[in-house]
Parts: sequence; structure tokens; C-alpha cells
Amino acid sequence: MKKIIKKMVVFMLLFSLVAFAAGCGSPSSAPISGEENGTDPATTEEINEEGIEETPAGPVMSSKAQEIEQVLMEQLAPLPEFNTGEKIGALIITLANPFWVSMKEGYEKAGEELGIEVTVMAAPTEGDTKSQLETLDAMVARDYAAIVASPIEPFNLVPGVVKANKKGIKVINLGPPISEEALEEAGGYLDGKITVNYEEQGSLAAEYIVEKLGPEGGKVAIIQGIPGAGQSEGRAAGAKRVFEAAENVEIVSIQPGNWDRNTAYNIASNILQAHPDIRAIFSCNDVMALAAADALEAAGKREGVIILGVDFISEAHEAIKEGKLDGSIAYSINIYSKAALILALKTVQGHDIPDEVYSPLALVSKENVAEFAGWE
Amino acid sequence: MQKYVQTDLTKIKLLTSHIFPQLLLILVMLIMVILLSVTSPFFLTWDNLRNIFDHSSLYIILALGMTFVISSGGIDLSVGAVAALSGVCMAAAMQGGLEAGLSILGGLIVGGLMGAANGSIISFLKINPFIVTLGVMSLSRGLALIITGGIPIYGFPRDFTWWGNGHIGPFNPPMLLAAFLTVLAAVVLNMSRFGYYTLALGGNEEALRRSGVSIHLYKIIVYILSGVAAALGGLVVTARLNTAEPLAGWMLEMDSIAAVVLGGTSMKGGKGSVAGTVTACLLLGMLRNGLVILSIPSYYQQLVIGIIILAAVIIAEVRSGKNLAFINK
Repeated sequence: MKKIIKKMVVFMLLFSLVAFAAGCGSPSSAPISGEENGTDPATTEEINEEGIEETPAGPVMSSKAQEIEQVLMEQLAPLPEFNTGEKIGALIITLANPFWVSMKEGYEKAGEELGIEVTVMAAPTEGDTKSQLETLDAMVARDYAAIVASPIEPFNLVPGVVKANKKGIKVINLGPPISEEALEEAGGYLDGKITVNYEEQGSLAAEYIVEKLGPEGGKVAIIQGIPGAGQSEGRAAGAKRVFEAAENVEIVSIQPGNWDRNTAYNIASNILQAHPDIRAIFSCNDVMALAAADALEAAGKREGVIILGVDFISEAHEAIKEGKLDGSIAYSINIYSKAALILALKTVQGHDIPDEVYSPLALVSKENVAEFAGWE
Repeated sequence: MQKYVQTDLTKIKLLTSHIFPQLLLILVMLIMVILLSVTSPFFLTWDNLRNIFDHSSLYIILALGMTFVISSGGIDLSVGAVAALSGVCMAAAMQGGLEAGLSILGGLIVGGLMGAANGSIISFLKINPFIVTLGVMSLSRGLALIITGGIPIYGFPRDFTWWGNGHIGPFNPPMLLAAFLTVLAAVVLNMSRFGYYTLALGGNEEALRRSGVSIHLYKIIVYILSGVAAALGGLVVTARLNTAEPLAGWMLEMDSIAAVVLGGTSMKGGKGSVAGTVTACLLLGMLRNGLVILSIPSYYQQLVIGIIILAAVIIAEVRSGKNLAFINK
């Protein structure tokens, strides 16, 4: 709480300053009180205090999560030195998407656990590539030892990464890839990569759908994210490959839903209009899958259509339990973000790291959703 | 006696109200610099100031065009989409084998054409600029999506990306472009006949028409300027990101309008300030940068900028209302 209050104070000050600029004419109080409060220590330092209060009961981990963490930690051995207080910045995509909000929480929690200072920043919206680069530029101007970055697109962060390289800040790429080709051309490089195998996410989901459809098959559709984005292309390609290989399964539509709930809702309605006999929809993330489920529900056609998403956000978890959604592809965000921070620490401390680390995956469906209780 | 004093006061009030917004903006900027430098050791470094200038340059380029449009009593909601469309056209041309220079020219022409479309429809058919530019905005986005098929075009020759992140001494091309356009816009708006007519369009269109000036011509030119400015913005953003996205420049029109209004240009037209616009762009750029430097989450960034736009508009409105009341007495 303290952290937020402090941030609010600074923010109110900035605001009152600008309001003052516009000529509201209250010059007496705002700027003066501002400088007093402004000299408070950096806001990031509060993270540690806050977290301790939040985790008194200790983390409750699902059995699946422990299994997965084990697999990943083996990939990362030997582990670096912890509790060294390194400052690490994380740049995620946007806080307007629950997945990235969980990622932010994952980073902050892992930061506590590893005894380092983690600050998470984001672009205002999912498509704002320019602002994301500007945010990275400003982060590079700070004193982070390493930055873990997840770009909106393969190219938008390239100039910022080059700046970080020049300043000696280690850069770890988490999730959607930063184009290494473009980076090399611009004279930059990545210090490490951790990602999820997107194609495997798509193919896992599609395999489940094909299995459920059985020998008679049927019409299926894919709702992509933003075309060109790595997760979107990879997941769609993985699903497409499996669908095409399956007998009697026909892909009737592949549409870009731009990761957006509303767009996906409309697409699902349109697909249903065009193909009333649709049997399954694979959406490249849960938000869109949930929207598709809503759209079919609204049309009274939810029964008999299999809808799968990816990411296993908590809303999807609930929806699978309730039977609203048929399944999702999970990887633990907590383990994922923790692994990224460990990688960052390893590079900062001069360890060698593997070229690419993959976060292990799991398919969640109504059959096994119970095993995922307490999953984060 | 009483009357004379009042007239003098009115004059003083009017005079200060012209420069006052800009003076205040500069003052506030200075206070913000001090506040941010005290709060964070990372703010007042050349690298970071360069970031701010670099990031603001895009907003300045677009907002300069918008200053002309708003001074003439209009509005242009299509600039973000036109920036994206122009960028996409440049990219498609280069992909087709055209050299960088010609591709850029092509993109600028596309921007100019969209501006001409805006201006012609608004002027000849006398349709509200808000609606017309809203239509052109959607049309441009649509074209950009069609040309790219929704998939960003990337990987351009060095001749092109130089416009986004090349080096000219300690500066880069976007900054110098913005600086050059600022000087140009200030001269044109304040010293040329075209600038005079632009302001007159916003102040009293009917009087200008009766004095025999071709309203249509000047209105169209104003929107063409805004379109070309948007295309230049498209060049900067495409070259900087090395990617032409159909969805680039999202909400850029709002940022431009906010900067123009914050800079003291009247939404009613007839009054425009290039210096104010540029100062406001730098102020907004500094604010965005400062919020990141202070590690304030992006939620608040949206909120702050939204509140500022509202505050600026409300205050401008209240102030102009006060002046009117004072004169009427």
C-alpha cells in the first residue's frame, strides 16, 4: 500500500504541475509541497517490504506446478547466488491483459523470493509498439543490471536493446521473440532467451480437439492474435499443422482477433453465421477463447462446440471448472518469470547460460482441471 | 475615467493572455525538470534528455500540422491513421524494389492526398471536419490493413532506417526534422500571408470570403499540410521501429490535439501558437518519460494524460469565457 500511496503522491504532483501550466492559477501550494515529497527515496525500494506481508502462509503450489518447476530448474543449473539485491527491470507488454498482469505479479513475487529488486513496466496497450520502445529507452536510462523484455513485435524493441547493450545492461528476452537478425543488423545482441514453444502450444491444443472430435471430424476454426506476432503465428501454425494432418478435419476459417475480446467475439459470431456446423474453435489466447464461448452462448450454439485457449489465466481456470471453456494450455507464469530472473542473475554474475530455455507446458481440460488447484 | 481604466486593463489582460500560456508551460517544464532531477538521478542525463527529444519529435511533427488545422477552426482526426498508411505505402514501395528516397516521396504524396481528400470534402461539401476526418481515419486504417494483409512489413535498407535512428552529431534525424519544421511552421503561421489566412479562416471565415480570398484553396492546403506532417510522422515511426504496421500511430491524433490545445491554440480557431504546441509536446514527452523513470505503472500514465487533456480544455474554455465577460462589462 505504501508504495502505491507514494506513487500517487508523485503522480498527483506531476498532474497538479501541468494543470498549473494550463493556467488554473493555484501557484501557491502545488510546486512547493512537490519538491519536499519528491525527495523521498526511489519508489522501487518498497517492493520488498510489501511482499513479506503478502506471503505469510507460504506459497501453495499445485502438484503439477511442482513437477514443472523441477523440470525447469534442471535446465537452469547451476543456480546463481541469490539475495544479492541486484536491480532488474522487466518490460512486459501491457497491463490491460490479465495474462501480463499475472506476469507482473509473478516477477514481483519471484523478486522477493530471490532477494533482488524487480521493477515491472509496460506499454499502455497491446498494440502500442512505439510507447513500448519509449518505455524501454527510459528504463535503459536507469541503473538496472539487467532487463527482461517481452516485445509486442519482433522489431519494435530493437533500438532500445542496442542502447542497453552499449550501456552494459544485460538483456533477457522472455516470451515473444525479439528478432535477432534485425538486432544483429543494428549492432546489438541478446544475453539470453526464455520462451514457450508456441508451436507446441498450438499443436497440443489441436491434438486434444482432434481426439475429442473423433473419427468423424468436422469443421474447425482458428482465432489468431495480432498477425505477425510470434505467439500468434506459432500457435496458429502448430494448430494448423495438426488439423491438416488429421483426417476429416477441415479448417474453415483463420481470423486475426488481435488478442482482443471484442474482436474475437465478433469473429466467433461471424464464423457461426457462416458455418453453423462448426465443431471446434482454437483461440490463440484465453481472452479470445472466452469471448468465443460467450458469442456461441449468446447464439444458443455453445453445446457441441469445443473451444480451447492458451495461457490458462485464472478466468479460464474458473471457466474450465464450470464447463464454459473446454480447455487451455498452461505454463506456470510464476515459474516462467522466476526462471527469467534466474537467467538474468546468471548473466549478471557472469555464468554461461543455455542458448534458449523453454518453459514446460501442460494441457488443462475438464478431465484434469482438479490437479491444477492452486496453480499460478 | 472609470471607463479608460477598464479598457487599459482589458488590453493588458488580453496581451498577457496571449503569452501567458506559453510562459506558464515553460515555467512548469522547468519545475518538472527540477522535481524529476531531485527525485531520480537518472532523469537529468544527456542520454535521457536525448530520449525525451527523440520521442517528442514524432509528436511535434504531427502536432505542428494539427496547429494549422485547429487554428483554421477545423480538426483532423485522421493523422494517426494517415501516418500508418503512409508508412505502409513507403514499406510496400521498398518491398517492391523502389529505392528509399522515392518510396519516402511516394508515402508523403499519399499523406498529402489524404489531406487533400479531407480538405476538399470539408470545404466543398461543407461537412463537419470531425465527421469527415473520422471517415478518412477509418478509410486510411482500412487501406493500410489491406495493403499489408494485416501483417507488418519489416526489414528496410539503411537509407530508410536512418530517418528513424541515424546519427547527426549528438542528434538524430527525427529531432532535426522536428526542429526544422518548428521554425518553418512558426515563420509560415506568423509571418506569411498563408498563415494570416489560416488564422482568419478560424477567426472569421465569412469576412475572409467577402474579401475575395479563395476559402476552398486555403482550407485544402491546411489539411494537405496536416496530411504531409502525418506522413512525415509515419516515416519517423516506421524507420525507427524498422517495421511498417497497419496499426501504427494508434491514438496519435489524440496526443496531437492534446498538445495543440495545451499549447494555447484555441479549439474555436483564430488563434494558434507554434511555440506553445512544441513546448506542450516536450512537456508531455517529459511527463511520459518521467513516469517511467519513476517506475509508475502504465495505468497511471493513461490516467494522467487523460486528466491533463481535460484540464487543459476546461481551463482554456473558462479563461476565454472570463475574458468575454470582462469585455462585455
